[in-house]
Amino acid sequence: MKESRSPILTDDELLMGLADGSDDALTQLYRRYFPMVLHFVTSNSGNEDDAKDIYQEALIVLYEKVRSGSLELHCQLKTYLYSVGRRLWLKQLAQRSRFMVRDVDMAAADEFAVGQIDDDLTDHEERDRQFDLMADSLTRLGEPCRTLLDDFYIQHLSMQNITEKFGYTNADNAKTQKYKCLMRLKRLFFSEYKS
Amino acid sequence: METNEEKSIENALRAYGERIRFKQRLKAVQASTDMNAMRQEASTYRSESASQIRSIWHMYRTTLAVAASVAIITTFGSIFLYGSYQQSHQQEQQYSLLSKEIQAVKSSQRKLLNDYNGRGRGLSNNPAQVSGSGFLLTGDGYLITNNHIVRDADSVYVQSTKGEVYKARVVYTDQEHDLAFLQLCDDSAFRSMPPVPYSFDARPSDLGERVYTLGYPREEIVYGEGYLSSGTGYRGDSTAYQIAIGVNPGNSGGPLLDEKGNVIGIISGKQTTSEGVSFAVKTNYLLEALSNIPIDSLKGQPLRLNKKNTLAKLPRKQQIKRMQDYVYQVKVFKHKD
Repeated sequence: MKESRSPILTDDELLMGLADGSDDALTQLYRRYFPMVLHFVTSNSGNEDDAKDIYQEALIVLYEKVRSGSLELHCQLKTYLYSVGRRLWLKQLAQRSRFMVRDVDMAAADEFAVGQIDDDLTDHEERDRQFDLMADSLTRLGEPCRTLLDDFYIQHLSMQNITEKFGYTNADNAKTQKYKCLMRLKRLFFSEYKS
Repeated sequence: METNEEKSIENALRAYGERIRFKQRLKAVQASTDMNAMRQEASTYRSESASQIRSIWHMYRTTLAVAASVAIITTFGSIFLYGSYQQSHQQEQQYSLLSKEIQAVKSSQRKLLNDYNGRGRGLSNNPAQVSGSGFLLTGDGYLITNNHIVRDADSVYVQSTKGEVYKARVVYTDQEHDLAFLQLCDDSAFRSMPPVPYSFDARPSDLGERVYTLGYPREEIVYGEGYLSSGTGYRGDSTAYQIAIGVNPGNSGGPLLDEKGNVIGIISGKQTTSEGVSFAVKTNYLLEALSNIPIDSLKGQPLRLNKKNTLAKLPRKQQIKRMQDYVYQVKVFKHKD
């Protein structure tokens, strides 16, 4: 009931909030369009978990576009999310060798919008590949480097916290250690990524 | 280069971290979301959807398709069944005998004009009830026609192309092959003619053989030509040929000749359901029937078939001219029950 008190945001406000990392915007966005995707996926031989996964992925596509400032909307936000979710689900269905879908809404039909969504999804796939490789490289890096990098870059812990956590004598020492780890990760990552 | 790569790995790692954190946030939002409310909204989505008609169509199109196919199958199925039922019941009547029921009103003017010896007067005053065709087997007055023409006859007359009328006697009938042998020499007015110009060929003829016939579908002799279309007759009757000639009632009993003027059959009927499907009894059944005639019936006048064919080298028009004198119209009078 708490969120019903917060003002209803427009699509533009939602996108701005998303870019700023506002939890309220994310929650509203999530709840506003999830039923649409839920309905689409469940009427096309998927279950609720499939719908959650698809919607999550669609939001990631949107989020990363917004964060990098490269989002170009040629259609309504609703249509964008529906089209992206639809494409992602179609891809899954194709892997399960089913090709017919029943639309519950209009997918983007405008040439610009379709082209933009195509590009966005291509970018998204590329990033997926990169992130999978990153996760793989991090695992192969081994301890304590994995946790060190994880803490610094992913959990955004401060250098001070890390120094204490790992029992380094001072922050400079920790920085040197982090640099070495990063160099090792770099080798692991690029040896795979470029080939 | 070194710093570039360092930057890029750092950026990649940061982006990776960002995604992971965003995923965590999403998961939190997901967890805090009331799924029941979402489901409810998803189901109202269905009904409030702008494409309500479309969704109804989507929902029922399978049912509709099934219903439509059932309707189509039922319709065509019953039409087909009805058709085949009718066909099986009509088939008995598909074979029509080509004897002609003569109508009393038919004009006899031409006959009267040709009636120079007065013999035709009886006929013109009292037209025959059934007529067909027949042709001479020998010059001395043996004539062959169909059994169905002379069946139950009180009296049988034959009339030549020239209009000469002779009384005929039924010598022998073969019901099985629908053949009847008549003799004209009962009538003293009949004078023996030269031997028949055609011969009789009992060997099976080939499909596609050009054939022709002469007969009396009307008062005048009519020529018809076509080809042999099957070695068997109606419903696979092996005693007959199927021929593609348009024949009409009255053609029955006429000769079926091949190109060389050999008689290969006797026209006997046609299939009423299709055009140009006619049947003719094969000549070898004629010969078979011939050998079955009791000698007594012949009254001492032997029936010997002509073996010499004088038509073979003539063009068609000459053939017809030569043989039309040997083809007679058979008129039959019956009791009216």
